[in-house]
Parts: sequence; C-alpha cells; structure tokens
Amino acid sequence: MKKKFNLLIRGALDSRIKKILMYMKLTCLVILLGVVQTFAGKSSAQTANISVNLRNVTVETVLQSVEEQTDFYFLYSRSLIDVNRKVDLQVRDVKIADLLNILFDGTTVSWGINGRQIVLLESESRSEQQQKTVSGKVTDSSGMPLPGVTVIVLGTAVGVITDINGSYSISNVPSNATLQYSFVGMKKCEVTVAGKSIVDAVLEEETFGIEEVVAIGYGTVKKNDLTGAVGQVQGESIAERQTTELSQALQGAVSGVMVSRNNSAPGSAALIRIRGITTIGESDPLIIVDGVPVDNINDINPNDVENMSVLKDAASASIYGSRAASGVILITTKRAKSGEVSLNYNAEYGFEKPTTLPEFVDVKRYMQMVNELRWNDNNNNANEYPTYTKDVIENYDALNAENPNKYPNTDWVGLILKGNAPRQSHVLNIAAGAKAIRTKASVAYDKIDALYEGRTYERITARFNNDVTITKNLSVSLDLNFKRSISEQPFYDPMYNMLISPPVYAAKWADGRVADGKNGNNIWGMMKFGGTSNVWLNQVGGKMAIDYTPIEGMKISAVVSPTLGFDKYKSFQLKNPYYSADDPTVLAGHLEGGATTNLYEYRNDNHRVTSQVLVNYLKSVGSHNFNAMAGYENYYAFNENLGASREKYELTSFPYLDLGPLEQRGNAGNALENGYRSYFGRVLYNFKNKYFLQGNIRYDGSSRFHKDYRWGAFPSFSAGWVVSEESFLKNIPAISFLKLRASWGTLGNERIGNYPYQATIAFSNALFFQSNNVVSAQTAAQTQYAIQDISWETTESIDLGVDLSFFDNRLKFTGDYYQKTTKDMLLALEIPDYIGFENPDQNTGKMDTKGWEAEISWNGKIGDVGYTISANISDFKSKMGDLGGIEFISDQINKKGSEYCEWYGYVSDGLFQTAEDLAASPKLNTAVKAGDAKYRDISGPDGVPDGQITPTYDRVLLGGSLPRYMFGSNIKLDYKNVDLSMVLQGVGKVNSRLQGTMVVPLIENWGNFPKILDGTSWSYYNTAEQNLAAKYPRFSEANKGINYAMSDYWLFNGAYLRIKNITVGYTLPLNLVQKVNLQKVRLYASASDILTFDKFPKGWDPEVAVSGYPITTSFLFGLSVTF
Amino acid sequence: MKNKILTILLLSGLITATSCTDLDLNPLSEGSSVNWYSNESEIIMALNDLYSIDFWPNYLTPYWDYDLWTDDMMYRDRTTSITNGTLNGQDVTANSWWTTIYKGIARANTILANLEKSKEKLAQSIIDKYAGEARFVRAAHYARLITYYGDVVYYTDILDLDESFTLSKTDKKTILKAIYEDYDFAASKLPVSYGSSQNLRATRGAALAMKARVALFFEDWGVARDAAKACMDLNVYELYSGYATLFLSKTKNPKELVFGNPRSALLNVTIPDTKNYLPRLAGGWGAVGPSWQLFCSYLCTDGLPIDESPLFDPQKPFQNRDPRCTATIVEFGTPWLGFRYQPHPDSLIVKNYKTGQMVSNVDNRSNAQFASFNGMLFKKGIDEDWTDDYKAENTNFIMRYADVLLMYAEAKTELDEIDQEMLDASVNKVRARAYNVAVTDKTQYPAVVAADKATVRKAVRIERRMEFALEGRRYEDIIRWKIAQKVLSKDIYGMLDPDDLREKIVNKGLWFFPQIPAIDEDGDADFETMYNAGLVKLCAVRNFPANQYLWPIPTKEILINPNLEQNPGY
Repeated sequence: MKKKFNLLIRGALDSRIKKILMYMKLTCLVILLGVVQTFAGKSSAQTANISVNLRNVTVETVLQSVEEQTDFYFLYSRSLIDVNRKVDLQVRDVKIADLLNILFDGTTVSWGINGRQIVLLESESRSEQQQKTVSGKVTDSSGMPLPGVTVIVLGTAVGVITDINGSYSISNVPSNATLQYSFVGMKKCEVTVAGKSIVDAVLEEETFGIEEVVAIGYGTVKKNDLTGAVGQVQGESIAERQTTELSQALQGAVSGVMVSRNNSAPGSAALIRIRGITTIGESDPLIIVDGVPVDNINDINPNDVENMSVLKDAASASIYGSRAASGVILITTKRAKSGEVSLNYNAEYGFEKPTTLPEFVDVKRYMQMVNELRWNDNNNNANEYPTYTKDVIENYDALNAENPNKYPNTDWVGLILKGNAPRQSHVLNIAAGAKAIRTKASVAYDKIDALYEGRTYERITARFNNDVTITKNLSVSLDLNFKRSISEQPFYDPMYNMLISPPVYAAKWADGRVADGKNGNNIWGMMKFGGTSNVWLNQVGGKMAIDYTPIEGMKISAVVSPTLGFDKYKSFQLKNPYYSADDPTVLAGHLEGGATTNLYEYRNDNHRVTSQVLVNYLKSVGSHNFNAMAGYENYYAFNENLGASREKYELTSFPYLDLGPLEQRGNAGNALENGYRSYFGRVLYNFKNKYFLQGNIRYDGSSRFHKDYRWGAFPSFSAGWVVSEESFLKNIPAISFLKLRASWGTLGNERIGNYPYQATIAFSNALFFQSNNVVSAQTAAQTQYAIQDISWETTESIDLGVDLSFFDNRLKFTGDYYQKTTKDMLLALEIPDYIGFENPDQNTGKMDTKGWEAEISWNGKIGDVGYTISANISDFKSKMGDLGGIEFISDQINKKGSEYCEWYGYVSDGLFQTAEDLAASPKLNTAVKAGDAKYRDISGPDGVPDGQITPTYDRVLLGGSLPRYMFGSNIKLDYKNVDLSMVLQGVGKVNSRLQGTMVVPLIENWGNFPKILDGTSWSYYNTAEQNLAAKYPRFSEANKGINYAMSDYWLFNGAYLRIKNITVGYTLPLNLVQKVNLQKVRLYASASDILTFDKFPKGWDPEVAVSGYPITTSFLFGLSVTF
Repeated sequence: MKNKILTILLLSGLITATSCTDLDLNPLSEGSSVNWYSNESEIIMALNDLYSIDFWPNYLTPYWDYDLWTDDMMYRDRTTSITNGTLNGQDVTANSWWTTIYKGIARANTILANLEKSKEKLAQSIIDKYAGEARFVRAAHYARLITYYGDVVYYTDILDLDESFTLSKTDKKTILKAIYEDYDFAASKLPVSYGSSQNLRATRGAALAMKARVALFFEDWGVARDAAKACMDLNVYELYSGYATLFLSKTKNPKELVFGNPRSALLNVTIPDTKNYLPRLAGGWGAVGPSWQLFCSYLCTDGLPIDESPLFDPQKPFQNRDPRCTATIVEFGTPWLGFRYQPHPDSLIVKNYKTGQMVSNVDNRSNAQFASFNGMLFKKGIDEDWTDDYKAENTNFIMRYADVLLMYAEAKTELDEIDQEMLDASVNKVRARAYNVAVTDKTQYPAVVAADKATVRKAVRIERRMEFALEGRRYEDIIRWKIAQKVLSKDIYGMLDPDDLREKIVNKGLWFFPQIPAIDEDGDADFETMYNAGLVKLCAVRNFPANQYLWPIPTKEILINPNLEQNPGY
C-alpha cells in the first residue's frame, strides 16, 4: 500500500501549518514546535528541479522518489494506472512536468497538477467524457466553513482536502461524476456534479445518540453494547458550566452522582459521591484521566475534557477493582482529529457576588439583647442592665457622634466585603491533525478574586496531546500536562469573624488608624495587616503509550505515566500593633495573633508512577463477536514533606528564613509511600449485537496490608439484551431502542492510611531539667492499636437497568435500580478510650445501600427553534448493618440500624414555658430554666425513663443527614444564531440543622445576635402567648449547652431548587466574520447560582457552611474566536 | 521487518519500565512497634514520652484553667460547666482527661510488659529503675482518675480489643491499694536525685509525695503522714527563699520542685496565650483574675481573717495582709508590667513607666468596658516574659515541697497528732517563708500555734489556699473537704458599673470595699450582704449540684460498653 491518502492530507495542510506556526509562537512550546517543523521541512522543495537516476525500477518507485524530493504527491487508482511497469529513468534538474512527460511517454496515462497534488488518470476515460475542474465550498449546517473535509470523485481515487476556508478544487472531473464529502464527526454527503463547475456542500453533524462510543475501563465500547451502568457527560456541557474547578461542573449533571460544595471561595472544590455512601471511610471516587489514575479531579481544566464516563455499578467499575468501591470517573481529554486544523481563543470576564448574606442586629439591639442574656443568666435579678447601662443604650447615637472611638458603630461586613469579586479566564486551543501526527495543545489561565482584599486564585493549565502513527501496526501517543495554581490569602480568613463581630467594637479609630476591635480581635485589621498565607501548587504529568498490532484484531499497549508534584506553602504572620485612640504614639497592644512576626514554610514533593501493559483482542466469528482484554498495572506513590519556620522577626518585609532569629528555628519532615500491583482481564461477547455478556476480574495487591492478607480478587458479570432487535419489537416504529441490563460484581477498598497493619511508633519530644537548664529528649510511643490481619473491604453490588428510546431517538430514558452491600468494612469503630490507643481501623461491619436513578431527555425542533430538555433524578438510602460497635461523628452516629451519619440527639418537646412545667419535668440539670429547651425522657440506666435527661440514655436517632432525591435538569434552545441553555439543580429532601451563627445568640460569648432571633425568641419581656409562639429559646450563655445541643428541635427540611446556570450565546453572522478572516465568533453571557427556592432562614444559602466563604452568584461575559 | 524489531524493542523497553513496585513497604519516617523496645535507648525514648506535659495536669491552660472550677478565680461573667452545674458525660474536659490519662496508662503498661521481655538483655537493676519510672507514672494517672471519676476501669497489662469490652469498673479502694504498691515500688527503685548533667526524671521523693497526695484525698491519714514524712526525711528538698520569684519563668528547677514539667519557649512548650491574665495596658485583656473570695481569704499580718483583724481596712484592703496576698494579686496603685495599675474609676490616665508618659488607663472600667470586672488581676508567676509574645515558659509545678509540708501537717492534724514541733516543721515553715523570715522568728510572722483539731485544721486549710492560689490545687481541696457545694453555690461579684460606683462607693469615701465581708469557718467571704445593699454587682450565678463531686464517665464509653456504669446523676 502506498501512503496516498495520508500524504494527500499532509500536503493540503501545509500552507495552513505555516500560518499556525505563527500562533505557535504564542505558546512558546518547544515540543510542539518540534512536531510542526517536521511538517514544514519540505516546503522549499516545491519549486525546485528534480533529479532521478534509477534503473529497472517500477513506476511506483519513481513516483516515490519524486515525493521524497518534493512535496508533490500523487493520486491515482491502482486499478487504472499500471505502476508496476519497469522503467529506466535518468534526468537531471528537470521540472516536474518534463519528468512526468518522459515517464508516461507512450502510455495512455495523463496527468494534471492541482496545487501539490498530481493526479494520474487513464487518458481513455478523459477522452470519453467531458472533463472539467470543479470547485466549491463545504460548510456545516450553520454556514461555518469546514477545513479538512475529504472530497473524493466517487469511483476513482481522485480526491482533495478542503482548505482553511472550506474551499476545494478538483480538476478533470467527469461531468457525470458524483462527489463524496467526508469529515470526522459529520455525516458523509454525496453530490452529483451534473455538469456544474461549482459544487457546494453542506455537511450535517452526525447525531451520535445511541451510537456514541463510551469509555469503559481500559477501552471503549459503543453505547449500545454497554451492559453496566455508565453515566456520560460531554465535554461541551462541562465547559458550559463556566466553573474553574471540574468537580463543581458535575453538580446535577449525572444521575447518581452527588456533588456537594459549601462555599464559592476562589479555587474551592466540591465533594463527589457516586451512588451514595458505601463505606464509612474515604468515599471519593477513583479518577482516571486518559487511562491513568490521578489524585485530584480538579487538576484538570474543564475545557480540556472531551467527555466523562461515570462507572456507577460494580460490573463497570470492577475492572479497577481495588480502588473502585466508590465508583470511577473516567475522563478523556481532547485530542486532535485527523484533518483538523484550528485555533480557538476564548476569553471570559465576570464578577461574583454572595447569593445572600445573613443579617445581624444593629448596635442598640445588640446591647439590649446582651443585657437580656446576662440578666437571664443572673436569675433575672433587679439589675436589667448588667452590661450596658440604660443611658448608654438610649443615647448611643449621640455618644457615637461625640466619641466614636469609645462608642463605635462598626459595619464589619461593609468594611470587609467588596461589592463584587472580578474573575477572568483565557483559553487558547490549537489543534493540528495530519494522518501521521496529530497534536492538540491547550493553554488556559484563570484568575479569580475573592470578595475581600488580599485573596486571589490564579491557575495556569496546559495540556499537549500528541498521537503519532508510525506504521499501520504501530502508533505512539505522547502527552504532557502541566498545572500551576497560586493562591494568595490574608493570614486570617475574615469571613466568620466578620459575620459575628458586633458593631459595638471599633475596627478603625475616628482618624482611620486601626483600632482594638474586641480585645484585639479586630478582623478587619487582622485581615488587612496580619500577613499572608500563600500556596503554590505545581504539577507536571506525562504519559507515553505505545500501541502495537501484531495481528489483525489484537492490540498490545504499554503505558508509562509519571506525575510529579511540587507544592509550596508560605505563611508570613505579621506583627500587628495598634495604638491608643487618643495618642498615636502610645502602643495599646497587638491585634490577635499579631504579637510577633513569624514565617512558616512548608514544601511537599511527591510523585506517582503508573505503568500498564494491556492486550486487547477483537474477533468475530459469524454472528459471535468477542472482545477480550488482559492487563497488568503497577502504581507507586511517594510523598515527602518538609517544614521550616522562624519566629519573632525584627522586620516585616522579608519573608525568608534567613532573616529570622536563629534561636527561633523550627523544622519538621516526614515521608510516606504506597503501591499497588494488579492483574486484570475482561471478556465481552455478543451474539448478533443482540445478546451481550461481559465478565471482568481484577486481582489486586496493596502495600497497605500485611503480606498474608494483601491480595484480593474482584470479579463481576453483566448481561444485556437489546429487545428492540427482536422481531416482535422491530415493527413498532415508535420504539427505536430498548435494552435491558443486569449486573453483579464486587469491588474493594483499602483507603485507611498507609500502614494500618503495623503499629507505628510516633516520635516527639519531651522536656527535662538538667540542673537549671531545660533540655529536650526524643520520645517514642505507639499511638495506634494495630490489627495485623486487616484486609480488603469489599462491596458487592447488583444493578438492573433499562435503556429506552422512542420516536427516532428523540425521547430517551435510562433507569437503574441498585443494591450495594459492603462487607468487612474498614471502620474506625469507637473502642473504649481506656484502652489507651486511637480508634483503629478494623474489618468489621456491614452496610447496605439501596438506590435508583433515572434520566430522561427529549430533543426536537419547532420551526427554527431546536431544543433539548433533559432531567435526572436519583435517590439512595444507606443502612448500617451489624457493625460490631458504634462510630460517633460529633452529632451524628453510625450504628446498627442507623442510616449512614444519622443525626443523633434528644427528642424535643418545645420550650419550657412556666416554672411549674419546669418543676414537674425531667431536665438535663438543675440549671434549666423556663424558656430553655425541653427534652423527652426516653430511658434510663434500667431501660425505663428515670426522671432525668442524660446524654447517656436519652439520645436517639433523629433521621438521616444526607440529601435525598437529588435532581438536575438541562434545557437547551437554539434559534438561528442564538443559543440558550439553562441548568437546574436541587435536592428533594434533606434533614438540615440550624446551628452556630445561624441561630446561636452571642456566639463565642461576644458575637452578634442573628437578626432572625429578634422578636422570635422566648423572653421574660414577652406575654405568655408571645412565648408560646416563640421559635427560639431564651437568650442564655450559661445554658447554651442545653439549648443548642443536638435535638430534632433544630432540624428542618433543607430541600432546595436552584437555577445553576443560564447562558445565552450569539454567533456572529458568517459573512461578517469572514470579512476579517475569522471562522467563527461567538459572544455569550452566563449567570450561575442566580435564584434559589428553599426554607432556610433569611440570609442563608442552602449549600453554604455555617461559617466560611459564601456561595456566590457569578455573572460572566465571554468571547470565543476561532481562526 | 525493521518496524517489527523496533516495536518489539520499544515494547520490551516499556515493559521493563513498568517493573514491579515492592509492596512490602514500611513507614519511612516512623518506627514500627513490631521491633521497638529492643534496646535500652528505645526503652528510654518510650519512657521519655511519659514525661510529656500533655499527660500531666497543666493548670495554666488559658481558658481551661483548673482554678476556674473553684471560688478562687473569675472570668468576667462566665462560668464553666462545673460552676454552673451543667457537667455531663459529653463535657470536653471530662472526656479529654479520661482519654489522655488512659493513654498515659497504656503507654506505661506497654513499657512494663516489654521490660519483662528484656530480662536477658538488661541488668535487673536497670530494668527495676525503668519499671519504677513507669509504675510511678501509672500510679499518678490512676490516682488522678479515682480522684475525679471515682471507680474506674483498672488494668495493668496491654489490653486486647475484645477483652477491653468486657471490663467494668473496679472499686476505687482496690485501685488505691494498687496505686500504693506502684508508688512503693517506685520509691524503692528510683534514685533520690539525678546528677547535674542527667535529665531530671521521677525520683523517690516524687513517688512518696504523690503517694501522700492520693492518700490524703481518700482520707487515709496514716499513709499520707508516713509518705510525706518519708519524703521530708530524704532531706533533698527545701523551700525556695522568696515566694514571689519562685513561680517566675526564670526560676528553673528550684530545690522546692518535687515533680513538674519544664516549659521552654525555645523548645516550643509554653503557656500558649497569656493575654487573659494580663492587664490591658500591657496588651492583655484582664479577663481572668482572682475572685474577691480569694482576695479576702488572705489573713492579716496578725494571723486573723479580715473580719476579725483590727489591721484590716476595707478602704486599703492590701495593707497588713499576708505577703502572699500582694505576691499573688496586683496591688492597686503599684507598677505592674510597666504601667501603674489602678482600677479606680477616677483614675483615667496612668503612668507608663517605660516612657514616662501618662496614658489612658484602659485597666479601668470607666475607659474600657471589659477591664477587670472586680478590679483584681493575678501577679503570681507573671513578669515581662509574658508580654513579649504572650507566651510564657513557667514551670508546671505538679508537686512542690510546700505541699509535702502542708500535707504532712494536715494528716497529722486529722490523726490528732498535733504539737508545736510538728507545726513548726511544716505549716509554720511555709508561712515563715512567705514572710521571708526564719521559722523560729515568730515575732516576724503569725505562727500557727498548737490548739484543738478544729482550729489547726482551719489554719492549715487557709494556709493551703493562700499558698497554692493559681496552682490548680484548690479544686481537689474543696472536693475532698466536701465544701464544694457550699463555696460554689455562692455567686460571683464585682464592682458596680463606673457611674454607680462613683455615686455609691467612691463619692462616699468607701472605695474599695464599702463593707468588711464576713468570713466563715472555711475562710470563705460573704458578699451577699453587700449585694443586697446594692453596693456590688452580681457578675455570674453559680450552681453546684451534689452529684458533681464525681465527674461523669464519658458518655460514649458507657454507650459502647454495657458493662460500664455511669456515675450517679449523669
């Protein structure tokens, strides 16, 4: 075989490559340049003369020689042209035309030059028909020109590739010929020439739908052939979410995938849980990028994602055996397609604002409420003004005007929060795909500012994916990725203290100098002058893979993928003095934590190496189709940490270790490693693409277990039946596809620290006197209880699923029901504290999870309006089996019969209203008063109510803490040049708890009172009726522990529905764009987290943590330009 | 063909690169228990761990100061779970003490078990010495457990996980006997002292003194007396001359120290945040201070309580008092950490001695709302070392010789073995040191004279309160004397608010105390009368139910082990 078509494409690309070269300089990427230069090398030979000196060779050899010397290439059909004819040819410095005339002299072969193509034709055919040159333009359905489309004259081997403007020209086309246009991702299209000299073509995008190819572990299958439960997200819909962190883009995108976040701080990630919780230990899914496990899904730029597969059931995930118990997310990054050449630049600017912020009472109410609280705690004695006198409260405005230093009225939120936080991102994508070498490069930069001063997050990611076809049997891919993030923050995060600081403390003196706040706790001054805490994270990763096909259907692959990480942390805590209000020369003290200037540095150096050998074999015998895979994988991870510090710096402007006092040195270091070795295999079989069977097995060994308990085998089976292929369904036209799926499998988990079977000896130091000196001596202690036979935790799961499509795939439905049982769960059960060791992990306990999920979508077109509506919903419930003990997690519990992390506390009976009620009821202790929370006496030491409320006998299970009925929905509309998309997301039911800053008065015994308490709390100033209607207990500091203890009093349904994102885009008309030589220009505006419906108290976002950075609404404006 | 060779080469190269990782990985930066305790230095390192300050009562822990559980100290208008009667099985302190103490016990037991195995490798005398240290530590930990929790789980070996769930409480009397045995063994094997280049570890004297403490708590007077006497007879300890400087951070390893933990800023063991104790003028918050009850408990220089002594002037309350009064509490109008300390409401500016300037007096509630609520600030053990970075490195005294002397006096008194010689050898020694005079120089200080049991008992108890203020000893004392419910049912009082204070007290010439508070037989002052007259302000209400004489066992221990019984009332 000759290199015909691949050369054909290569040549057509040439001129564009020169153009691209220019863009390449932007990226300054050496590797890419290297690749590109191999394209560009021959261009000067185009006009040069040729010399040939060959004897007794075939015509083909001569043509090869010409191709080697020039960048011309030949197009011909072997059936028409006799290239095996032996010739002798000696010419020197001749033009190409002369050479060809000599070569084909006396034959019927004629030739024509078209650009750098030389088409050889049988003259007889030319003489019989009228030949003419046909040219035209190929566009997609939106009118965008398509470069790189292959245009072939059907029945001949004559063909060209469209240029950057989508134009082509073919000479010598018979007038009755048919032209075929083909392009990856587009439907093939045939047009008859019918004597025309200009033939334009419009290619329609191939609707993948059910024919989609889906990544499964170590391979891909057609979506039709899937027998397991695999969720899919296209890269496009991920990028549309406009999040910098990939994890956040998944919220509501796939059924059965729970994504939760509790803040929108720059660079913050979200938690991902696949199909609920199956283990008490770590439940993060395994993330595989291009076949290689990675530590953190957020290291990947959302724009680089081609698509994402979520392996939900055991049958799909068990090929990843050991670490797949919590599900697997497979991410495929974008690669260049053959014939694709493009450069795309995308810029976004936007800003963020808190969705909502809680409100607190004003200065006068604060003082009044403090007085009431203290008065309550002093048994409501004669003095109703125990803290702030009546005079001060009544005249506060005047006092404040007269002496704002002594009588401040500080708006802490206004002082600290900026109106909005800007963000921007820039993405540059370059794709260049020839048949032999295909390169995709992307470089992205994001910068997000925080809502307060001094905090920014910047990230640069770059990814270069190269595919090289060496021979038809051998190809290599070489990928490189890089990530650097820089996060700068003030040493003190102001969010929590900003909310709770009451206005009665001064942030600034009247002349603008920093004031003392509350006893030096002045969060504004601490944020602004307290120093910085910066983090630099760097990661370089690569992957080299070789695919070799020794025989038809078999592929052997070898992969090595190292990732190196270098992290740097630097905290510079500054001396932060404040001076007297009256006299700027008098040092009045230091703001909290600001007594000295200290530097703390920390470095982490890590690497991971994954290596794999895989063998894939495909074989079809009649209607029996086999696909077998076997593999070996090795993984090693290493981390080394180094910390160093000095304290009491003289100067505040040199954050380097050398400048600190020698005697204030501190340092620390440690290291850890772990490894896996795995053998695995898979067999896929189907009969007539109707009946599918799949079996997987993985055999894993982990360094985390003792030699004798190290290896675990994780098998799985699944089956599918495409009912719609059966004759009894084939004639129902409404049903386009119906498949039933069933699977069973087991998965393993061992994420429990690195050396659980050994009791490690931890080193530290203790001080001793030596005469009058103090010295330090090294200490050693076993802190962990070791269980030597600790081994794999296994999760067994079954899945039943159905895939349905109606009306030519316009309506699609997928539903799954699953059950998971986890055995030998690795649990840190509560062991008696008197044993003297920390709770060890042990193989104990069972847990069952049952759940279901469904996805439905509809796409259609009304006139010019195309639309797609999709929705997903999922639910699960996890029940703890016999654990052999109990695990306490603050106010949640895991024990036999409980849900996972079920709320655990008292059963409330409202508030005590009267002294009589109080005297007659069981209480927590003698301090309880009217207006405090009343709890039910459930039991006692003898198993019956004992007339007393105690944490030992009166706490019960109060319901699950995890969200139920999680749903998401996606709506897309397009009309001519305008596109619109909307994403909804929410939770149908969840037991949320009112706590901390939401409802606790005078938090930390000095903080402000939430506004929602004002007028709604039990009070001695209220009438009995008002108190009966009171929502919150009386104000008390002494009885906080009683009133705000975990009880069902504070639980409510935290369900919510949120409009996650609305994006409107406008694509500029083609004729306008082409005038400035561009291919496509799209403008868009996007708003995220705009509107929420929920029952949370005013000011609280349903997703936000009680203290910390708020959830923000973001508005973005973007521009995408394709050259 | 060439391609195939190339491919095979490449593939084999890659397969070599995918070589196997060794899965037998051991901790890189930690030891492994599998082979630890194999030689003497490993045993010493394990023993060293038992001396970590984390395992010992650490009484100057900011916000968690043990004296906040008593009537000696106040923290503005705050109370603790102990003083407002809300202690329960989820209490942070009750939980963390339990856990930490048992960690100490488990580690001591582990060392003892491994010492058994080292019989061939080490000389018996070495093994005995190390076993003595481990048993000393174990005894001290069990002593603290039965003191606070009553009956507890007792074991002396390495617990197996399954076995641990079958355990139940052991009677505290039985545990007490075992504690005596451990202390006796330790006393017989430990050295009396260490050389100047050796680390100061547990000594014979420490074992004896600590034995006396636990015996005294359980009113085992004979054992307490003998142990204290044996410690005194070692003749290695003496009272440090200068009560005020004894507690300062610069005083390292005084001869009075029987057992304690050093602190060192350089070596990163400090009292981490001292601001609560310090005046606002020196950058502190003046939040935690002595209570008026403590202030009033100091005798006058004639040896009489303030309500009986003609020397007491409520308008000059610091005058004619036991010297420990002004060594413990900052006297008004005196220099304190570079500033004049004066909480008088009219003292709006004061002198900064460092600069000579007059500055706004923020230790005065007229200027600063949150200046000391009762005018009192602690002085004991505090100096400029506390204000440079608000970290301090004072020694954590667990046992000092003055305690041994007073325990001896108390045990002898309870046994009715009272005579002047005994008093001069114990309580009077302590009091004379406070006056910085010889014990024999009875004209210079009010010596305790032999009298009936009740009188001497009262004198010894008041002596303990004056001597050990701010050392975390008061709580155990009020528990064992069974007066906790009485003294902790009294409320916390402070000065009136500035305007009221001027009007009702200052302008009438009644500053500081408008009246002389009555002192009861336990030396406790009464402010209720003044409060009822509207002359002082109620800062916080206290409440101490009877069941709190014992702490609760942590709730989760009861919930996971049905064999364990909770203490009554929790």
